[in-house]
Amino acid sequence: MKLNNLLFTATTISFALFFLYTSCQDDDNAIVKRNWQLVWEDDFNGNAGQSPDATKWAYDIGTGDNGWGTQELQYYTDKPGNVSLDGGGNLAITARSESFGGSGFTSARIKTQGLFDQAYGRFEARLKMPWGPGIWPAFWMLGSNINEVPWPQCGEIDIMEYRGQQPNLIHGSVHGPGYSGGNAITKSFGFENDRFDVDFHLFAIEWGKDYIDYYVDDQLYQRITPDKVTGEWVYDHPFFIILNVAVGGNFVGFPTPQTPFPQTMLVDYVKVYKEAN
Amino acid sequence: MKNISHNFIPFTLLAFVTLFTVISCKRDLDDLEPATFPTTAEVFIDGFAAGLNYGAFGGSKVTAFDVDTEIKYKGTASMKFAVPDAGDPQGAYAGGAYFTSTGRDLTGYDALTFWAKASKAATIDVVGFGNDFGESRFLTVLRDVKVNTNWQKYIIPIPDASKLTQEKGMFFYSEGPENGLGYTFWIDEVTFERLGTLAHPRAAILDGQDQVFVVETGQTLSIGGTKATFNLPTGVDQSVDAAPSYFNFTSSNPSVASVSSAGVVTIVDAGSAVITATLGDQDAAGSMTVTSTGQAVGPQAPAPAPTASADSVISMFSNAYNNVPIDTWNTGWQFSTAELLEIQIAGDDVKRYRNLNFVGIEFASQTINASAMTHFHLDIWTPDATALPAAFKVLLVDFGANSTFGGGDDSSHELTFTSPLLQTGQWVGIDVPLSNFTGLTNRAHLAQLVLSGDLPNVYVDNVYFYKSGAVTTTGPTVAAPTPTRSPADVISIFSDAYTNVAGTDFNPNWGQATVVSQVPIAGNNTLLYSGLNYQGTQLGSNLDASGMTHLHLDVWTNNSSSLNVFLISPGPVETPFALAVPTSGWASVDIPLSSFSPVDLANIIQFKFEGNGDIYLDNIYFYKPGSGGTVPTTAAPTPTFNAANVISIFSDAYTNVAGTDLNPNWGQATVVTQEAIAGNNTLVYTGLNYQGIQLGSNQNVSGMTHLHLDFWTANSTALNVFLISPGPIETPYTLTVPTTGWTSLDIPLSAFAPVDLTNVIQFKFEGNGNVYLDNILFHN
Repeated sequence: MKLNNLLFTATTISFALFFLYTSCQDDDNAIVKRNWQLVWEDDFNGNAGQSPDATKWAYDIGTGDNGWGTQELQYYTDKPGNVSLDGGGNLAITARSESFGGSGFTSARIKTQGLFDQAYGRFEARLKMPWGPGIWPAFWMLGSNINEVPWPQCGEIDIMEYRGQQPNLIHGSVHGPGYSGGNAITKSFGFENDRFDVDFHLFAIEWGKDYIDYYVDDQLYQRITPDKVTGEWVYDHPFFIILNVAVGGNFVGFPTPQTPFPQTMLVDYVKVYKEAN
Repeated sequence: MKNISHNFIPFTLLAFVTLFTVISCKRDLDDLEPATFPTTAEVFIDGFAAGLNYGAFGGSKVTAFDVDTEIKYKGTASMKFAVPDAGDPQGAYAGGAYFTSTGRDLTGYDALTFWAKASKAATIDVVGFGNDFGESRFLTVLRDVKVNTNWQKYIIPIPDASKLTQEKGMFFYSEGPENGLGYTFWIDEVTFERLGTLAHPRAAILDGQDQVFVVETGQTLSIGGTKATFNLPTGVDQSVDAAPSYFNFTSSNPSVASVSSAGVVTIVDAGSAVITATLGDQDAAGSMTVTSTGQAVGPQAPAPAPTASADSVISMFSNAYNNVPIDTWNTGWQFSTAELLEIQIAGDDVKRYRNLNFVGIEFASQTINASAMTHFHLDIWTPDATALPAAFKVLLVDFGANSTFGGGDDSSHELTFTSPLLQTGQWVGIDVPLSNFTGLTNRAHLAQLVLSGDLPNVYVDNVYFYKSGAVTTTGPTVAAPTPTRSPADVISIFSDAYTNVAGTDFNPNWGQATVVSQVPIAGNNTLLYSGLNYQGTQLGSNLDASGMTHLHLDVWTNNSSSLNVFLISPGPVETPFALAVPTSGWASVDIPLSSFSPVDLANIIQFKFEGNGDIYLDNIYFYKPGSGGTVPTTAAPTPTFNAANVISIFSDAYTNVAGTDLNPNWGQATVVTQEAIAGNNTLVYTGLNYQGIQLGSNQNVSGMTHLHLDFWTANSTALNVFLISPGPIETPYTLTVPTTGWTSLDIPLSAFAPVDLTNVIQFKFEGNGNVYLDNILFHN
């Protein structure tokens, strides 16, 4: 993972420069220095084909209810062909065009539900996106009380969502009571001359009692505060982490005959921090 | 949204520092600056970018393109393309290319982009860039571009921009009617861009397939299906046809197969090799595996030249005669494994069959009436074992009065030939009376010849019917052209026009069978070799030709299939030069003396001719270029073809095709004039870059065999002539320039394949210098 560290350093340097030029132009970019302490991580080191660490990750299997509520087309499995380590220090979540369980596509969705959750802190993942129309990867969180308090009351924090037909754009959102689905509070971050599917990028939120800050490569692009949501602020209890690659669905539209399959999201690592005193 | 292009700043600084360091220590070596080309991105924004030219494609409607100030995506103007209806007399399609005369450095871009809309939903056949009306080495083609009535942005990825250091082909398009109907489309804001959002480059040769070819030494294969694919900013893949020159080809075994930068594979020895390619740093999918069986075993010398008089022959295939049309020499009938290769042996055309079990040869569309003939002849050569019971069979089929297969009036007969007639490794003449084909009750509508037997490898030549009788050979009726070079520039061996080297023996006894005589032809003394096998000439004194540049000779033969001329210096050191035979009329040949290396030009003692047939020779002399001017002083030789056998484009000697435009505006720089040279009207191209000729009407020249033209140039160093049929399909033929005096050339029309000879619409000349042209005509 030496290469990744190098890249990370280069990115950091360049963003330092970036702020020199733009910090006075946009309040969202104000840096808040916090003292983060690592509490949970998975760097996905291991042999190729190995399933992710069962002490850290559980699976959603099947098609959920109405395609996980958003008319997605894939059947989620725990097969190594859909979710396994790549042997190079990454987790590969792969959407395939294959008939399985009555669906035309397979893919995977893993979660820390019942294994790890946390309220507040920094949640980050270093990801390389798949591509192609109708491909919908996400790095997101749900309130751990979802079984007692149904969605959207439990709360949903989407750290990163992406549409394969817009490979230069990602979206950060919250869904809560009165502002879910198409009415979520959301903002997009884009590259003019680059894409998210050619290199790894670091996606993160920093979450406190009355704010959620969204970062791409340590650049702050959105702060959501209680006054910005059009309903109840429900981000005051532990949430668990989800990583998945969906195919089709309300958010992204259908894949087309031109969508190349298989499509893989690579996850270099997921890390969770708590703020130290 | 944030732009992270600031990222580039630290890297740029770093690069600058490095560059500075390198320059500072190289400075004392040289101060040469590399040639730089403009990096201009714009092609058409609201008008032609500076230096941009437009040329319409041959056969297209040249007025299809216009600038439109009413309908545009942005700014003040767009490009409008009016696609004609089918059958538009002004042109069948819209097509042309935009090119610069100075190349541009496009290495900093990753795509050509533009916006387009159309008057109706349609699919444009091709758009792209890299067409420079020349080699177009980096042609990049996007096919089947869907347009509709809304403006949309289109992206043509550059397969490997690092190759485009001086590209002249900026944009081109070609589109025909949709379902027979014309329409209009507009293109605007054509520019090269560095998008940065093209991802996942992939490359393919042979359309990504791993193909295997069984080949022989000397064969060449072109690698096609060269494609580059990129993922567009919309997440979808887009493939373009990328010219082979974008790729870097590698042979796993260059001692078996070499591969050129243009993707042409040449087999050099027996063995196996795999050709693969990279595009930029991408390995291309697909490969070409060649398994070479080595040098083909075939005849070293051509078949003996036929001796039957041309007027008593119906020839299907022979260089000695005019041949009747044959539909195909390999019908590809079911279960036939025969492969046909058209080859040449010492300049003689030969049909070579490989993997022959049986092969159909068909001439049903123009059946042969051999009623007046008495014999059938063909020459075959095989490397295969011919000992009994090996057999070779010849089947003739007559379709009867209805000239079609079946109908109860067909007849046929097959003859079987075996050893000792059949021989391995030598030409065998099969010469049989037609009466031997006893089942062939009619021969007025012969339509098929079928060859079969136990010989998988058969070379075939001189296939003809003839009427037995006196065999006569006729000689030339006109004298060889009189030389025009100044005697001061000439050392003459045999010519009435000059003083010849004294004491030369034109018939030394070297054991030859050739009969040598000197005969007057139209009053001009001419050297005749009858029944040539070989023949020497002993010069009267050792001759120093080191101050000369060329050997000239005039040759005439209607029955030789092989003729080499040798210069000889002591040793003996001798080098042959192959002459094209048979000739059509007198052939004036100018051979650079360098062709005879390593003969000592300062000490030439003998000439030798080797070959066969009856040869007339005249005006054998050495010469050097004179101090002559840059304008011809004599007229081009007047052609002597029978007018009935000629379709003339430009000649005082014939009626020319009416309505021909000798100077259509194709955007060329050439100045076209017609000048009287010694009283003869001559076409003059001054400052040639390229030049078209638009024929007054489409010409079917499929009944012709040759394109004849006379050309003269003192300063051109490159000259190609193209025939063009709709498509456009065009094929160049390279003319040898500069000339020494008028060059009269007869180009076999087969040299222009795949041009549609039934529908020739244009000529084109490309090259440089000042060129004089005359007697441009087709003949047979």
